[in-house]
Amino acid sequence: MWSLRLRLMCGMIGGMVVLLIGFDLIVYHIISRVLFNQFDASLESAARILSASVERDDNKLDFEFDVEMVPEFTGGTRSAYYEFWRNDGVPIRKSPSLASDDLIWFKPVNHPHTFRSFVMNDGRPIRAVAVNFLPRTGKNNPNAADSPQSLILVVARDTGYLLAQLRFLKYLLSIASIGAIGLACAVAAVVVRRGLAPLSAVAAQIDNIREDNLKSRIADEHLPAEIVPIQKQLNSLLARLEASFERERAFSADVAHELRTPLAGIRSIIDVTLTRDRDAAEYRSALSESLSAINNMEAMVAKLLILARIETGQMTFNREQVRMAELVNRCWCPFSGKAAAAGIVFENHLNSALVWKSDVAGLSMIVSNLLDNAVEYTDRGGRIWVTARKTDVGTEIIFENTGNQLTGKQTSEVFGCFWRGDSARSNTGVHCGLGLALVKRIIEALGGSVCAESQNGLFSIRIYLPLVKNGL
Amino acid sequence: MRILLVEDYLPLQKSLTKGLRESGFAVDVTGDGQEGLWYAMSNDYDVIILDLMLPRMDGLSILKQLRVKNKNNHILILTAKDTAEDRIKGLDMGADDYLVKPFAFGELLARLRALMRRRYDQKCPCLKIHDLHIDVASRRVWRGDEEIILTSREYMLLEYLAMRAGQVVSRTDIWEHVYEFNSEASSNVVDVYIGYLRKKIEKEAKPPLLRTVRGQGYILGA
Repeated sequence: MWSLRLRLMCGMIGGMVVLLIGFDLIVYHIISRVLFNQFDASLESAARILSASVERDDNKLDFEFDVEMVPEFTGGTRSAYYEFWRNDGVPIRKSPSLASDDLIWFKPVNHPHTFRSFVMNDGRPIRAVAVNFLPRTGKNNPNAADSPQSLILVVARDTGYLLAQLRFLKYLLSIASIGAIGLACAVAAVVVRRGLAPLSAVAAQIDNIREDNLKSRIADEHLPAEIVPIQKQLNSLLARLEASFERERAFSADVAHELRTPLAGIRSIIDVTLTRDRDAAEYRSALSESLSAINNMEAMVAKLLILARIETGQMTFNREQVRMAELVNRCWCPFSGKAAAAGIVFENHLNSALVWKSDVAGLSMIVSNLLDNAVEYTDRGGRIWVTARKTDVGTEIIFENTGNQLTGKQTSEVFGCFWRGDSARSNTGVHCGLGLALVKRIIEALGGSVCAESQNGLFSIRIYLPLVKNGL
Repeated sequence: MRILLVEDYLPLQKSLTKGLRESGFAVDVTGDGQEGLWYAMSNDYDVIILDLMLPRMDGLSILKQLRVKNKNNHILILTAKDTAEDRIKGLDMGADDYLVKPFAFGELLARLRALMRRRYDQKCPCLKIHDLHIDVASRRVWRGDEEIILTSREYMLLEYLAMRAGQVVSRTDIWEHVYEFNSEASSNVVDVYIGYLRKKIEKEAKPPLLRTVRGQGYILGA
């Protein structure tokens, strides 16, 4: 790809060359026409004088002009020639300058006189005019006009001098054009360099922006109006990049933080256990606690992996008929014991005919996370229930639970990675704030949407997917 | 020496409590921020080990409250937050030390011992009262060339008295720094353990080290 500088230079110089060539051609053509017109006018004038000097008397032609009075017809370097012919092409008289040569005989066509350029036998270029005329009638032949016989006169002049002048003009124009193009190159280089200076300045500023100083922006001082939109777009891109890097950094910090705490627990358990000799029960207890912490970490890493796969498009989803009521009941099983221990009542109000065409594994993850979350945050003796509602765009499933303590602002943040209602980490690994983030990513990957609401101590999450068969 | 551990991640809380108790510290534990503040305000702990991300009240708020109310306990922040900004913020808000998770338990113990020395203006890791030597790191005691074997509680009592050597230490002080919050309150317990300790460290041929100051308490090495 050519650089902008090269393109502008080539464009300017190319344009200049075309303009100059065009200008040269026009000037050359005009001057050439003017010179030839003058030349032709002088030929025509000479032909007129010569033709006026011919008189027919007693059926004889009388040539009344003295060749010696017009030296150019007698020969020389800038010679002129004439030759008279009868109308049938028989030569009558010619100028001494022709010596043994003859001019080419030609008749004027549709015009009293016709011009033509040709080359003499000795190679000299000449231009001639042919005139068809009636000679004057003499006093002794008053009736000659009754039987007029026209003559052909061809007058020619050497055009070598004229062509030499035109060649000189051609050289002059060429040299002037080459000089002008050279000058144009120098001017174009300066103009392009100055014109592109703001772009170079912007490029230098961009070059200075590194991953660790994404806060810097491209200054708009001294920027021409054409560059300002680009500068604004670049600054906007930088702002988005900065936000993206910040999110990435925060996410990495969150991941590191969430992994550090259980890791600290495991290390502490092992460190403390190894401080002295212990009996088998104590070792077993330590190993069991470590395993539990490792399981929690594993669960968190598994969620992170799913999130990463969804983000990078590596997660594949099938489309099959999923009976949602059955799915919710199946997903509830692992939590039923914990819910019963806390006195939490669960109600599944979904119609058994409600079918969504989607990925059963993805939907299971969504429902399990929502129920897990609900059991965790529902108050003791509270209630969790699942219902369906028909909307303008299809059917949504609503998971609701009592015991909500979230504010409106907190509710709007529940789908963020590692977000939790308070800063507690007592369930790190299991409830590390990834469940609802995962729900949102999966449902969006399945083509649906999710939203959360909280009011009057109730927390509800609505999920929507394109409907196949409504069993409401 | 008495420690308050405020940590909400249960596996870590349990293992630390066990390890600290086995290392001879009296440990009170909570996993709740507000409860942690209440404990800290109610007792004179030698060191408070404080997590930052806690339910109901975060660690930095607890730290701020304690410093505002002129509680001069030594505070060690134990957290997964590892950036320089986090450390600077924690230390500038009045923490005495900052340890990032995960950590070696031995390092935590060493830092606690260092904080204890600072609390009682000690520089040397070995305490020496006349011919009584106490190696705080290894928790071993000698009188002259003879090593004295002490139980964990007896050692805690001796170390506390040695840290405050030359000062009269009341029974209440001993109770507050050697016994945990949930220990059965009894004024006799201190006297009984002082008796056990006296039997082990006093030798007939040597001058007495531990004296009773009637109506006030006990004094070691004066």
